Amino acid sequence: MAAAPSLRAPPLTLASTAAALRTFSRTLVLLPQKPLFTSSRALRSPPLPPFRSNLPARRLATRAGANGGNGSVDPRQFDFDLFTIGAGSGGVRASRFAATYGAKVAICELPFSTISSESAGGVGGTCVLRGCVPKKLLVYSSKYSHEFEESRGFGWTYEADPMHDWSTLIANKNAELQRLTGIYKNILQNSGVTLIEGRGKIVDPHTVDVDGKHYTARHILISVGGRPNLPDIPGIEHAIDSDAALDLPSKPEKIAIVGGGYIALEFAGIFTGLKSEVHVFIRQKKVLRGFDEEIRNFVSEQMSLRGIEFHTEETPQAILKSSDGLLSLRTNKGTVDGFSHIMFATGRRPNTKNLGLEDVGVELAKNGAILVDEYSQTSVDSIWAVGDATNRLNLTPVALMEGGAFAKTVFGKEPTVPDYRAVPSAVFSQPPIGQVGLTEEQAIQEYGDVDIYTANFRPLKATLSGLPDRVFMKLIVCANTNKVLGVHLCGEDSPEIIQGIAIAVKAGLTKADFDSTVGIHPTSAEELVTMRSPTRKIRKDPSSAMEKNVDEVRSAVDK
Amino acid sequence: MDSTDRFGIGIRASRAILFLWRGIVMARKMLVDGELGQTIDEEKQYDFDLFVIGAGSGGVRASRTSAAFGAKVAICELPFHPISSEVIGGIGGTCVIRGCVPKKILVYGAQFRGEFEDCRNFGWELSDQIDFNWKKLLHNKTQEITRLNGIYKRLLSNAGVTMFEGEGKLIDAHLVEVTQSDGTTKQYSAKHILIATGSRAQRVNIPGKELAITSDEALSLDELPKRVVILGGGYIAVEFASIWRGLGAEVDLFYRKELPLRGFDDEMRAVVAKNLEGRGIRLHPGTNLSELRNGENGVRVLTDHGDEITADVVLFATGRLPNTKRLNLQAVGVEVDKTGAIKVDEYSRTTVPNIWAVGDVTNRMNLTPVALMEGTCFSKTVFGGQPTKPDYIDIPCAVFCIPPLSVVGLNEQQALEQAKSDILVYTSSFNPMKNTISGRQEKTVMKLVVDSETDKVLGASMCGPDAPEIMQGLAVALKCGATKAQFDGTVGIHPSAAEEFVTMRSITRRVAAGAKPKANI
Repeated sequence: MAAAPSLRAPPLTLASTAAALRTFSRTLVLLPQKPLFTSSRALRSPPLPPFRSNLPARRLATRAGANGGNGSVDPRQFDFDLFTIGAGSGGVRASRFAATYGAKVAICELPFSTISSESAGGVGGTCVLRGCVPKKLLVYSSKYSHEFEESRGFGWTYEADPMHDWSTLIANKNAELQRLTGIYKNILQNSGVTLIEGRGKIVDPHTVDVDGKHYTARHILISVGGRPNLPDIPGIEHAIDSDAALDLPSKPEKIAIVGGGYIALEFAGIFTGLKSEVHVFIRQKKVLRGFDEEIRNFVSEQMSLRGIEFHTEETPQAILKSSDGLLSLRTNKGTVDGFSHIMFATGRRPNTKNLGLEDVGVELAKNGAILVDEYSQTSVDSIWAVGDATNRLNLTPVALMEGGAFAKTVFGKEPTVPDYRAVPSAVFSQPPIGQVGLTEEQAIQEYGDVDIYTANFRPLKATLSGLPDRVFMKLIVCANTNKVLGVHLCGEDSPEIIQGIAIAVKAGLTKADFDSTVGIHPTSAEELVTMRSPTRKIRKDPSSAMEKNVDEVRSAVDK
Repeated sequence: MDSTDRFGIGIRASRAILFLWRGIVMARKMLVDGELGQTIDEEKQYDFDLFVIGAGSGGVRASRTSAAFGAKVAICELPFHPISSEVIGGIGGTCVIRGCVPKKILVYGAQFRGEFEDCRNFGWELSDQIDFNWKKLLHNKTQEITRLNGIYKRLLSNAGVTMFEGEGKLIDAHLVEVTQSDGTTKQYSAKHILIATGSRAQRVNIPGKELAITSDEALSLDELPKRVVILGGGYIAVEFASIWRGLGAEVDLFYRKELPLRGFDDEMRAVVAKNLEGRGIRLHPGTNLSELRNGENGVRVLTDHGDEITADVVLFATGRLPNTKRLNLQAVGVEVDKTGAIKVDEYSRTTVPNIWAVGDVTNRMNLTPVALMEGTCFSKTVFGGQPTKPDYIDIPCAVFCIPPLSVVGLNEQQALEQAKSDILVYTSSFNPMKNTISGRQEKTVMKLVVDSETDKVLGASMCGPDAPEIMQGLAVALKCGATKAQFDGTVGIHPSAAEEFVTMRSITRRVAAGAKPKANI
């Protein structure tokens, strides 16, 4: 507690401070589960909610009191019941919900810009301004070139090849972002949340400074999100990140994308679709670390077929700019020349620098993520954090869930733990991926005996278009309980298909339940309810796999 | 045998529940009959254990699964042709040759027009002249269904099923006669006979009806029509309206009711109607056609409102009837209902104990996946030693109009009819993200109907892009009795349309049990 309390800041009672530290240190003891949270890409969704049932009941009582220390109503006066720093998905959701519970809420956010920095951001946050939304709009635009290709097999012919005008796209995209940031502002206003533009910084456990002005609050919520993280190599100043890639003044002619994660793959698809030459450089042998192995193989095969060149096991060492303005990327394996752009999609970091966190005693992980307990409470009782700033599962709907749970816990008198089980997610690569639950590798590790059902087929549309598009689907089933542990899809419409499947997986449904569902014909999704015979059975004890014969007969019957 | 009790159960989708309820009463009886039949038959020798008439979805599935249980199986089917008649058909049946598959191929083809419109605001510059070559689409479609026809043949031969080409008909309870295309006939005896002859499109009886076509011909027209009149409000009518509009024709759609798609949720029917209009289809609700005449430059279509339109093609999408006329059913004692549908019990057994029927010929729920289910249940019951009833609860289905409609479970009206407690209706009508840029004025609409007492989701429907793909997963959840809380407990996929189904937090309306359904007509 190093911060010098301002006059308005309430002095902490020794007892409450001690209690807070005690409970927090207890949380920290449970660090073996922590790596799940602090991993670079949280799509390796933890099978169980982290920190589950670790907190003593006393702590809960405190929290449910929701009025400050130790369950008793804190008599002090604050400007606000809640001050939220950062108006992205998590912050806006938490603020709105808190306000509906009757709390007096303020939220601060940096001025709008499509490119984020220490001094620019915008209401709506990463998702709306620099992530999900603009990315998907660009995906929509880029997908058309594939659709034009497809249409030829269906009888459509073009006098001239369709041309793409980058500036139209970017202008329309930015108009939409402006509209959305306006909508978010209205949403806040309509729920009675005070919006303050400026950079918020924590002064003490109950005080936030926004550009020199101090605001006191019973609770502070940090939801400042994350930002792209570029490695420190020579010439890195010539590289762009995903913020910039979403708002380039002109279309790249030839682009190097460094990284094998979902952001790299999504942009590879976008630029390929818009007819740039795309090279993807990844350090590993395969893309999408943490995803199901078969999906990793399948998606890179399909993307290669669409013209993306993958450079595997190449670590970038330097960027060189030649006299003609073109860029070269030097890696451990050699140098590739002639790039108009080099983009780094090498991970994101929590925006926790210069927030005053360390000074008030909010503990951070090594990568800057705010450490929180299962209720999103930091090591300081009155300070909470949700979303990418905590680097748990960095997805918009998860930030929404965390924000909603926070508001319920603190202002709704209903202590609520976000549930990280069976959180579905999508990669909007081309073709896209949808997944929910465990990967095959995780399932084997956790359950030992699992049955794997796969389908790899040419969708109806591709039979006419003549394009080499395929769809891959995989169900992972617990051999003992028949429960569906994970579903992984790659192919057209996968993100839309997986949502309903996620309800079923979350509800703990079995393979028999899937089989009893009648298909919708003709769809791709019907394949998921007509997978009769396991592709393979994985058993800890190999002899138990001999039961296979019986099932083979049965599945032959069913197929 | 009390045949009235056993077989008087013409099941329609909407009566599925009643059907199942009765099924419980009859289950015991079925088992007894099964055993009885076996002891008698064991003494005789037959050419086959099973002879299947009709190699469509249900027939092929039943043949293959029966063969896998060890039965000696034969199947007969008419020679292949895209347009069906009494003497032509083809392995694969309606679904593969004249239904789901070619229809969806044409829908894909038609969807591109919307994409061409939508892509411009995404930065694409297309020449004003985008040509569509119908002959190429038709050629590629025919090539694909020919390929599928071949695949189905291979599936059958790999399963050890003997195939005969020709028209099958019953001679007696254990004898089938197959008439080949050269007129020669052969007879085969079988312990069990399965009728899976499907159905065919029907024309309404008005003067000049011979000038109209059915969906069979519509899928294989030589020339793409410029002006089309469609009669009918069912799914086939709206699908073809979307197809032809997408391929560039002027489309006029006539139907008797106020809204198309009778039997679907009223609110969703209104959405579909609005979308069809939004895509440029002219709707004529409450209007029938009274006469067709040959005109100088097309078919002159007269309506019962006294209007006249000229069209290149008039499509009758006015229902389908079971293909039972030439099977000699009556002579053998197989009863059919008024529409010609074969009466079956819950195990698909006809009034003759060793003759069975599955699929559209029984006019239960006329969907490919249902015929597959019935075919599999038949095999399990007859050859697998596990009497199995098809389950008609929560069967999802899709209408591939543009944009498509897909539903599972009860619609609001059905839910209210069956409700013991209040019904909670959640609706969401939103501008899909793609339209925010494209500027297309077309909302996606979703709806959940929930039982207020049990929290069970009774029905889900959606009209909008990808609805059929989205609905399949919801169907798994509904089938297993998922609650609204379980929907809410599922995290969304962002950004998707489907995430709306798990983020519907506020009730649109609560309707008291027994109240009259609210219909936005």
